[in-house]
Amino acid sequence: MSGFRKSIVAMLAPSLGLIAIFVLVPIALTIWLAFTKWSSQTPFSTATFIGFDNFREIFGTSSVGRDFKGAMVNTALYSLLSIALLLPLSVLFGMLIHQAELRGANILRTILFATYMVPMIAVALVFSKLYSPTEGPFNQILSWVGIGPQPWLSSPDTALVSVVLLNVWQQVGYFTILIIAGLTQIPHSIYEAARMDGARGPSLFGFITLPLLKRTLLFSAVIALINAVQVFEPVALITQGGPVGSTNVMTYHIRRVGIERAQGGLGSAMSVTLLLALVVTVTAVFALARREDRR
Amino acid sequence: MTIRPLMGLFLGSALAAFSSVAMFSNAAWAEDVTVSFLTHWPPETVAKLEAAAATYAKDHPGVKVEVRAVPFGDLLTTLRSQAGQSGGPTITGIYDLWLPELARDKLVNAAPEASATDVTTNWPKGVATAASVGGTVYGYPNEIDVYALNYNKKLFEEAGIKEAPKTWDEFYAAAEKLTNKDKGQQGFGMINSWAAGVVHPFASLLASNGGALVVDGKPQLDSDNAKATFELYEKLIKSGASVATMGTADANTTGPFLDNFVSGKTGMIIMANWWESALKAGMGDRFADIATAPIPVGPKGDGPHSISYSWMTVVSDGATDAEKKAAWDFLAWFNGPTSGENGASAMGDLLQSMGILPSRTSDVAAFAERLKTPFLAGYVSVLSEARPFPTVLGGQEFTESLQGHIEAVQFGKETAAEAAAGAQADATAILEKAAQ
Repeated sequence: MSGFRKSIVAMLAPSLGLIAIFVLVPIALTIWLAFTKWSSQTPFSTATFIGFDNFREIFGTSSVGRDFKGAMVNTALYSLLSIALLLPLSVLFGMLIHQAELRGANILRTILFATYMVPMIAVALVFSKLYSPTEGPFNQILSWVGIGPQPWLSSPDTALVSVVLLNVWQQVGYFTILIIAGLTQIPHSIYEAARMDGARGPSLFGFITLPLLKRTLLFSAVIALINAVQVFEPVALITQGGPVGSTNVMTYHIRRVGIERAQGGLGSAMSVTLLLALVVTVTAVFALARREDRR
Repeated sequence: MTIRPLMGLFLGSALAAFSSVAMFSNAAWAEDVTVSFLTHWPPETVAKLEAAAATYAKDHPGVKVEVRAVPFGDLLTTLRSQAGQSGGPTITGIYDLWLPELARDKLVNAAPEASATDVTTNWPKGVATAASVGGTVYGYPNEIDVYALNYNKKLFEEAGIKEAPKTWDEFYAAAEKLTNKDKGQQGFGMINSWAAGVVHPFASLLASNGGALVVDGKPQLDSDNAKATFELYEKLIKSGASVATMGTADANTTGPFLDNFVSGKTGMIIMANWWESALKAGMGDRFADIATAPIPVGPKGDGPHSISYSWMTVVSDGATDAEKKAAWDFLAWFNGPTSGENGASAMGDLLQSMGILPSRTSDVAAFAERLKTPFLAGYVSVLSEARPFPTVLGGQEFTESLQGHIEAVQFGKETAAEAAAGAQADATAILEKAAQ
């Protein structure tokens, strides 16, 4: 090995070594544990190999399987709803703020981003009170326009959507900043040329802004998906996965199974499945985007 | 965002790998011993525990008791992830339902002979049994909790109800009378989104209908007694006397369920004695409107029976010998009759400050006057006829599974018959798997 190569290895070794220890080794351990029966309260040496039993159980018809599949569906719904609300809203706010002539754009930008900086514990506590069915401000505001009280977090039909709204409120500022960054990359000359050709408002947005924002939107969608799949705090702090498991999302369910019930093997199998699902989804999104690019 | 559980599981695995290295350094430390005490108690109670530890330290200069407090919702997670690890808590206050799995995984230290004898001699037999697995005592029991009917006397008066319901028929009739949809008022409040809060009142009604959750290790959730209990829930929901959306609890066991009762929008609930402090804090002077009564008796029941459960303090088996010795010595003193006032233990004093019933026989005698308050007397009166909540392997999963079916009835997702059949099938599979 040449001296140059040796120096590259020497310089990369500390960071790669840390990544290997703190990322790759735990992932490998989790994959191995997914094929074992293991109480997470005991040393790894107590784990016994059981093949695919954990995976059979989480996809089976027992309560373990039902709860796991329910958590998968809840997580998918949460992610889809979050992305479906976050992206259009962030584009809307981004367009508004990006207009140079808009007075107070900087203040609006600061306010929007501020929500992202508020710790989730505070957001969760405040929203749990805002959503209160009897004394909550949301229901009071609705009553002013003649809408009856909504159960928000207290009904299995509305609890997940309520948590999504909380998430959207907190993250929309962050995604707005990403969209603004994307908008600044679109040259003004393209808009000017389009205007000379007679294009106006909606046409400019549909034929220039959106297509040229595609990469930013794709990146935002992937980040929003990863954030949504990892949702944990609002569920742990407010709903505890209820009512009737309607907000029981994957990360909360994995904690419940792998740590509270000490079923480390099952919890690891769920973690591995979630990881695979996320990898497959993100890969599919990028593959679709590449195919669109080729067209 | 903070570390997610998924990543936590990965990192936890890595950290566990390093723990054995760290254990060596622990064993080699100085002669002074630090005993850590993990609890879910609130700050004001933690302050009392720290004061007791300071008193103990005066006569035991080499021992320092350090308190670590986490919210109730995080106690089990903290215990599961830290127990047996280097730096994990030496002493932990646990719910007795968790003991079988902790003992199976050898995470808790069997009590030394003196402490075991102390427990079997000075605590009622049922409580000492709940602190044991296979005849081996694993800790000092402290609080005992039972359930009773809490009702709002003012709402009873407005509805023209003279006295607390004694039977299910009277209970249902009272719930209907107390319901006033125009005022957003429900007759009986059912909890959701909190496993023990959902299951314990149900189990108390079941016990008062002559049934049990588990008999000889086998679930009994499709018995006629259990079916009737599910049907009672269904009837209350369908009639509108119970409104499921008014019963949500959050991670601190508060939320709309508590709000609705303290604000007079719920006529009756079934709740444990330890809620006294939450009710007082929420109601102030209006707490005087709240009364307690035994659980209403079902058609197949022989009398009111609450379920009971207890808490206990255990010592980590992963602690060093010096730490274990110091921890057991502290617990013997803390739970003994010389550490508190007037023959009570310091633990008894601390529990009483929260309105919790102590379980040590001498503490019950020492606090006899205090336990005569109208609110607590209602609980003390049902103590002798209480049925212990089954402490079995897989108990936590069993509880959460049953919670799911009870909530499904509350929200109209399952009929009573479907819930009974489903709960029985799930519970059978859970307990069989846990016993393997």
